[in-house]
Parts: sequence; C-alpha cells; structure tokens
Amino acid sequence: MHKYVIKRLIMLIPVIIGVSFLVFFIMSLAPGDTARTILGEDAPIEAIEALNEELGLNDPVLIRYGRYMLGLAHGDLGTSYKSGRSVFSEVMSRFPDTLKLAFWGMVFAIVLSIPIGIISATKQYSLMDSISMVFALLGVATPNFWLGLMLIIGFSLHLRWFPSGGSDGWRALVLPVITLGTGCMANITRTTRSSMLEVIRQDYIRTAKAKGVGNRSVIYKHALKNALIPVVTVIGLQFGSLLGGAVLTETVFSWPGIGTYLVNSIKAKDTPAVLGCVIIFSVCFSIVNLCVDILYAYIDPRIKSKYK
Amino acid sequence: MKKVLSAILAGTLAMSLLVGCGGSGGSDSGNSGNGGGAGGSGTTTTAAAGGDSSSNTSTGGQEITIGTSTDLTSLDPHNHNDTVSAYATRHIYNNLVRMTEDNEFVGDLAESWEYKDDVTVEFTLKEGVKFHDGSVLTAEDVKFSLESQKESAKVGHLVSMVESVEVVDDTHFIIHLNTPSNALISSLNHSGCAIFSKAHVEKILAEGKNIEDEPMGTGPYKFENWTPGASFSLVKNPDYFDPERAAQNDRLIFKVIPENSARTIALENGEVDLLVNVPSTDAQKIRDNDKLALDEYVSTHVEYFTVNHSKAPFDDIRVRQALSYAINKDDIVIASMNGEASTFDNYIGAAAIGYYDVVTKYEYNPEKAKELLAEAGVADGFTFNCYVAGATRATSATVIQANLAELGITMNIEQMEASTFYEKTGNGEHDSCLAGWVANAEPDNTYRPLFVSADTGAGGNRSYYKNPEVDKLVDDASVNLDKAAVQKDYETILKTLSDDAVWVPLYSPTGMLARQAGLQGVTPSAIGMHDFYSVHY
Amino acid sequence: MENKKAKKRSMAAEVWQRLVKNKMAMVGLAIIILLALAAIFADVIADYDTKVVAQHISDRLQGPSAQHWFGTDEFGRDIFARMIHGSRVSLVVGLISVSVSLIAGGTLGAFAGYYGGRVDNVIMRIMDIFLAVPSILLAITIVAALGTNLVNVMLAIGISGTPGFARIVRAAVMSVKDQEFVEASKAIGASNATIIFREIIPNCMAPIIVQATLSVAGAILSTASLSFIGLGVQPPDPEWGAMLSSGRDFLRDAVHLTLFPGLAIVVTILALNLLGDGLRDALDPRLKQ
Repeated sequence: MHKYVIKRLIMLIPVIIGVSFLVFFIMSLAPGDTARTILGEDAPIEAIEALNEELGLNDPVLIRYGRYMLGLAHGDLGTSYKSGRSVFSEVMSRFPDTLKLAFWGMVFAIVLSIPIGIISATKQYSLMDSISMVFALLGVATPNFWLGLMLIIGFSLHLRWFPSGGSDGWRALVLPVITLGTGCMANITRTTRSSMLEVIRQDYIRTAKAKGVGNRSVIYKHALKNALIPVVTVIGLQFGSLLGGAVLTETVFSWPGIGTYLVNSIKAKDTPAVLGCVIIFSVCFSIVNLCVDILYAYIDPRIKSKYK
Repeated sequence: MKKVLSAILAGTLAMSLLVGCGGSGGSDSGNSGNGGGAGGSGTTTTAAAGGDSSSNTSTGGQEITIGTSTDLTSLDPHNHNDTVSAYATRHIYNNLVRMTEDNEFVGDLAESWEYKDDVTVEFTLKEGVKFHDGSVLTAEDVKFSLESQKESAKVGHLVSMVESVEVVDDTHFIIHLNTPSNALISSLNHSGCAIFSKAHVEKILAEGKNIEDEPMGTGPYKFENWTPGASFSLVKNPDYFDPERAAQNDRLIFKVIPENSARTIALENGEVDLLVNVPSTDAQKIRDNDKLALDEYVSTHVEYFTVNHSKAPFDDIRVRQALSYAINKDDIVIASMNGEASTFDNYIGAAAIGYYDVVTKYEYNPEKAKELLAEAGVADGFTFNCYVAGATRATSATVIQANLAELGITMNIEQMEASTFYEKTGNGEHDSCLAGWVANAEPDNTYRPLFVSADTGAGGNRSYYKNPEVDKLVDDASVNLDKAAVQKDYETILKTLSDDAVWVPLYSPTGMLARQAGLQGVTPSAIGMHDFYSVHY
Repeated sequence: MENKKAKKRSMAAEVWQRLVKNKMAMVGLAIIILLALAAIFADVIADYDTKVVAQHISDRLQGPSAQHWFGTDEFGRDIFARMIHGSRVSLVVGLISVSVSLIAGGTLGAFAGYYGGRVDNVIMRIMDIFLAVPSILLAITIVAALGTNLVNVMLAIGISGTPGFARIVRAAVMSVKDQEFVEASKAIGASNATIIFREIIPNCMAPIIVQATLSVAGAILSTASLSFIGLGVQPPDPEWGAMLSSGRDFLRDAVHLTLFPGLAIVVTILALNLLGDGLRDALDPRLKQ
C-alpha cells in the first residue's frame, strides 16, 4: 500500500511538468499587455516598458519557461507579476477558504444525495423516484450563478436570514455551500441511484432476498456497500469540480478564495499566478483521486489485494 | 458502466468549471479598461451593521464599514497604482501636498513651498509631525521616499522630473528638477508619492521583509489587518498631527464585494455603511429607500468611442464628423448607465483641472451624418471592427452598432479581456474601440497620453491621432509657469480636438456614493480619491 | 455482411422500442425536437432585422405582455424573438463542439485503447494533463489567442471536451477489443484501422452516444459561460448565456431578463439529460426489465 501511494505521488511530477508546460505556452500564445493591465491606463509608455523589462517579459518564451521551471525545481512557484508577492503565499492564503467551501459543499451534497439516491432506487418508477430524479436533473441543469443570486435575493434580501457575502461565521457559509453543493448533489444522487439499481438486480442480492434476509438489511448491508464504489469515484471527481465551481460561487458571494484569484490572474495575464493556481489545483485533484483509490481498498477487499 | 459514469462526470466537471468561472468574469470585466487605474473599481463602505451602529453614536468605538468591488493590490505606495490600494495607503501615509475639494493644492506634510527658479523648488515641512512609531518626520525621510520612488516601475514615472532632493536641515529641503515641469506639485499629491519613515523602511528591509508587510506612515490611521480577497482594516491614529483632519471614527473596515447586486444588498441589509461606485442599476433603489442616502457628484470620468485615424476611411474628417452626428448618446446613457450619467461632448471630465467648456458640439442628426458620408464618398456604407473590454462598454457599442446600421454601416463588435484589449489596440489592430478615462489631478496626465503623437498605440493614444500643433501645445502647457497661458493652451487643444472630431465622447458617469442615511461627513472626490477620516454617525 | 446489417437494424429498432417506453426520455426528445424546429424556422417565427436586433430604447425592460410574450430587454428588444434565434446558436455550438471533441477524443481514445501499452500511456498522460488544466483557462486562452468569434468558441469548447471522450472511448474499446468478433476480424487479416473503425467503434457506440448527448448539454452551458464573460457570441447576435449575463444587473427589477433565457438553458439541458439517461437505459441490455 505504501509503495502504491509513493508511486502515485511520484506520478505527480510528470503531470506538474506537463501542466506547467501547457499553461505556460497557452498563456504566452494569448495576446495581452501585462504591464499595461497592472499599471492602468494612465501610466506612461516608459513605465510600461520598464515594468515589462523588470518582469522579464521581453525575453523569449523558452527562456522564461526555463527560468520558471528552474525555480519550480527548487520548490519556488515564482512571484506574481501583479502584486510582486510570492505566488505560493498568495495562493496559500486563499486556499483554505476555498477548501472550506468545497468541503462543506461536499458534505451538504453527500448528506442529501445518498439517502435520496437509495430511496429512488429501491422505489424505482415511483412518484418519489420521478420527483427526486427531476429534481436532481434540475440541479445539474441550473447555472450556478443564477441559483446563487436567487438565494441572495430570497434569503438575504427578503428574509434576511443570512448575509449576502463575506466569510465571517457559519451563517456566511450557508448560501454559498448550497449554491456550490447543488450541482454536485444532483450528480451524486443520480450515480447512487443507478449504481444501487445495478447492484440490486444482481444475483447475490436476489439470493439474499430469497434466503429471507429483510429488505432493509439487504439494502444497507449488502447492496449499499457494493454500490458505493462508483459513488466514491463520483465524489472524488466532483470534489475537483467543486474546487473549480467555487470560482463562480466565490464571486457571487464575495468569498475570498483561490477561484476568483485564478480568474483575475488569467485576465491580467499574470502567468506565474495562473501557473501556481493550476499546479495547486492539479496536485489537489490528484491527491483527492488517490484518496478515492485508497478508499476503494477499504470498501472492496478484492481491490486492496491489487495494491500489494 | 462505471467507466461511462466517470466519463460523464468528467464531462460534468469540465462543464461546471466553465460555468463557475463565468460569474466572476462578468462582474470584473465591467470594471476593466478604465482610465486612471482607478476607473471602475466600485468601492463601498459600510458602518457597523444594525445593532452596533446604534451603540456607536457617541464618540467611542465607531467602526465604519466600506464596501468595495475589488481588493487592494498592495499596501506599499510604491507598488500600486489603483484606487482601492490608495484607499488604504492614503489613510496610512501622508503626502507633501494634498488637493482640496476646490481643486487647489495645499500643504499636507509641507508647510509651504516656493519656486526658486524653473527647476528648483524649496519646501518647508510642518514641525513635529510624528510617525506611528513616535519618531519625528524629517527632510531625510522625504529625500529617501522620493528618491526610492524613482526606482519603482509602478509609480516612478510620477517623479521622473525630479533630479534630486537636497536636504537643508530637518524641516527644509530643495527639490531639483531635471526639466521645468508643471506636474511636480500635482504629482506629489498622488498616492505613489507617500512619505515613508527612512529608519523604519531600512529596518524592515534589513529583516528581509517588504514595505507592505509593515506599512507605517504619519497618516490618520494605522494599518490593522488585511485578509486578501475579503477585507482590510485601519485603526485610528490618536496622535495625528492635524487635529482638523484627524479621524472621526475609530476603525475603517473595507469589505470586498465583487458582485454588483450583492454589494447593494449588503448596504440595504446594513452590513456596510458606505458604497463607492454604486451600480447604476441600483441607484434609484437607493434614492427610494428612506434608510439610505445617495451622494452624487460630478466626476472626471469620460467614456468615449474612437476610430483609428490611421485607417481609411477614418482619416477623412467628414467620416469622423458623420459618426459624431450618427450616434445617439441619450440612448447610450439609458442603455449602459440606466440614466445615471450625463451625455458628454468634451475630452476631459467636467470636474477635472484642465476642463474648459469650449468644444464644438455635435447633436444627434442622422440626416446630417448621411450627407457627410455622401460627401466623403462612402454613402453606401462600409464595414469595420470595434474592440471592447467590459460589459458596460459592450452595451454602449451595441447601441452604436444599431445607430450605424441605420446608415448602412456595419460595425462588428469584438469583446475581449482588458489585457488583450490593451495589447491589440496598442498594436493598432483595431478599426475603432470604446474606452474610458478618469482624469487625475494633473491635466498633463490626461492630455499627453491620449492626444500626443508620441503616445499613439500602447502609450494611450488609441485614436492614433497625430497633430504636431496639439503636440506643441501639450508640451507648452506642461512647462509654462504662466497659468493664463496654460489655460489658453488647453482651450486651443480642446477646440482643435472637437473640430477634428477625434473621438465621439459619449457620456460622463455620475459619481455616486451610497450610504446609510445617518452617516455623516462623506466628502466625495471628483477623481475618486475619497477621504474617509471624516465619516461618522 | 447483409445479415450483419439486418441484425444491426433490428438492434436499433429494439433500442428504439425500449426508448419509447421511457416516458421521461420521450419528453426530453420532444423538447429537443421542438427546439430544433424553433431553430430551423426562427426566421419565420421572428424576423431578424426588425425583431431581434432593432432597438427601441423607450420600450426597454418591459414585462411580459401580449405584444412581447417574454418582455423586452435593456435595449427594448423582444426577448422571445431573441430566444428563438438564440436556440440556433446554442444548438449549433452544442453539436459542432461535441463533434470536435468526439472526433479528436474518440480517435485518440480508440488508438489508446486498441494498442494499449506505450501508445496508451503517452496519449492518456497527455489527456490527463489537459484534464488537470481548468477548462475555463483552456477555453478562455484559446478564444483569446485565436480571436473572439463563434468558430473559435466551438473549437475551444471542443478541445476542452476532448479528454472526456478520449477516456470514455478508450474504456469502451478496451472492453470489446478482446471479444470474439474482433479476434475474428484479426484472423481474416483486417488492418488495425479497419478493425478499430469498422468493428470496435460501432460495437461500443452505446457509451459514446450517451456521453455525446450529455456533452451537448455541457457545451451549451459552456457557450453560455463564455458569452457570459463576453468571450462568446458577439453583440447583437442573441445567445442565451449572453442574455443571461446582460440581464444579471436587472435581476431585482426585471427578472424576466434572466428568467426566460435561464429557463431555456435549464429546460434544454434537462431534456438532453433525460434523453441521455433514457438512451443509456435503452442501450444497456442489463437494465432491461
């Protein structure tokens, strides 16, 4: 198991190199006047040129990439063009907030989706099933920012139950977590349902039922455990999408996370900041998937044996 | 089955990422591309919400919360050139001079100054001004601040005319210029020309830290806290040297709320006390709300449409004049600004130093436009592109597009991010574009980049307008110490620009600060550099 | 050969019969057909020059009425007419960008799955890298680099959807490549390409069809998102996401600006998902009841 984890972590290195290469080159492909964006309209051309020189933006792409990778090899994520501060510290100061949002969004999604998915599956084609499936589909189909704004208008402006933004205290968490978690909840509900359906129809469940094991017990002891594997995969994948989806939610709710930082950096063509975010994102995503794989082993002992 | 599922989910992931980012993009780009660095950054302040504020009516413990749409970029005055950062640094630091509400320059840290000749200015500092750490301000601190500012890529250009600073004694120093300049005093008012404590800066630099890690000046507030992306706060400096300009509240909290509607809702809920750059869609709502008040002021902000003069048919003055007659500015003000702006004919904001009402005005007159196009030989119309950054300008462009379509002219709008816009228009790839400008305290900072031949393209002259006569006048106005002559220069420039139909000036947004009705002491600044020390309940 | 085709036809018929029984999927299909009809006959329903782009500032932000079923927008344009024309953009972008993803991702995935080993490793690691880059970044940058227009938007969305298809096709190919009919083709000396495109791909169409249906939904949302940040369809052409984005500031006073385009997106995506789910059930014999 340890060996497997270490191997997987080593596999991160080529991914980081590939990702940084890809991002660096598409960033330099796109036109954009970084110095002008930083200095604003009123800076004279001399200042623009001076800043471009200072940031090394006049050098060829390959040289800049080499310089960046050299730093990266020493664990240095570089300096933001815009703020002049270390990208690592900028990203890290925002990351916990995004993580917090994504974590609670996921908790919200899981707590609601798995029971709904199970009920839908056990009562397939019932009214309850149809309602929850349409509801789940609506969750997937509703643009996030729209939901967020509607929640603000309803629960913040009219009912005044929650603040419209900011990140102080649990009340500020409620609306963004619902906004972020809804799409995710919908996806997990659907996966749980279809996975449960698949398992329920399998022979061993029929056998268990035939042997007179109670319905409830069949579902929770036998079926659920086996149905969990795809659900866990989805949760892993969704966690990645939650991190990304946080971008929108963060803006709507003025949440000081990494998502808004990334988008603003893209706009300003702040390549080191973008790279920093993307690298952290991909490392995080890989680690979540690794955790998912390890979780499999605990759910399904047959898989565990493969890691040895 | 499982694989199918995971692939579907991978697709969903990609999709949600895209959807996610959409939101922030919209709100931000609305602000991009404005002039003055300060452009569209909406700032809102809120006093302590609900229950807090009532207990704060006396002198003690007043917190004022101000809502802004963007975060600060740096607490180091040498490392930023934007309004929101200046909200922080202007309250932590002082400058040698400051600008009054009547656009006059008066001493701030300086007691007085005197031009010895064209390139020598002698300053006297106020006595006994103390930094937050208790040390006393001396001429050495000024020399250190201005000379290290020259090294800054972001604000060094403001003091490019300064050759050196000669310290006479603790309260006297002489600024030697390398060229005569009218811009010295107004530049010294810019947030980039803040005065540091030499000893403090040298100490923190020696510790391997940056100026922004421990900002410390002479200002009415001390830096307290900054949570990037969320908020920053300042606390009152009880020992401020100027009792008349001492803080009338105990703490300023700036809250970053990027989303327009959320910002207004925060004000309505009492989560913030003051909003800066109020969303135009919400202005009427605020006026109609008894608990809130809207302070309106004339700004130095101009939004304009310009063609690229270096490209045909825009090199023909008749075509440019036709465009000036063809565009319905009233419709633009309604569609883009919900009526919260005035249509505009001038080339510099009405509240700016260097504004004179001398321009030739072009009233909306499609018939006249048609005649002019026929005279220019393009009666059958033509096709060209228009580069735009930001949602508000895209709306204006859409109205212009419809106006021109009636004359058989096809204008293709291309929206892009601000950084792309700067690069492409800087290279002269555009046929036309929409842009905006917020004039600061120095008129040369407006006239030079926008209209001088040397600054075509990336320098800021996106019209590619080249007129040696205008160049000469701008140069003269920047160095001529005779105020009447300077005024004459600027008047001639404005007249020439409007006769040449260099731009189609569209509108000037109404400056707006929204606040809780009980909040007092709000004093808007036409250039957006609001002071918040006087705000209180 | 004849026999095989007949068998295929009967299989399609069987799938269709199963699909027809699924009421939800039929609802989805009906909505999509309706949308397609709206897109095809948009010019008949509402004239482009006089209804879709002509501005009437004095009539702006009006609520729904007999004259303007869905009200008017901030330029006084009829929202219903704009939505009808907007369906064209959404459907075209949805279909074309998914075709791009399908062709690029499908080909890469098929080769990776069929050859396995090093080819598989190289292709899939590259796909992993694409997958690790936030697709918003990918799409924005591609559009920014190539210029803002509809073709580039389709390309950008297509490219960001490629890794998803590569993965799914690879998985599908791997699951069928060792089956008897593939072995049989190999035995009669068919070339690899022939095997991939004639034998393997047709036999793993099920997951691909499902993924494609759902991806069209994703592409429509992505287009809306790009338009939302001003990098998609350019004014004055109508597009649902752009309409949503420009209506955002009027959310509180004139909710119809965002309500109707928002509902159009929700309903379209809902319909595509219903159909996709129905197809998955119909194509997967194990789920047959």
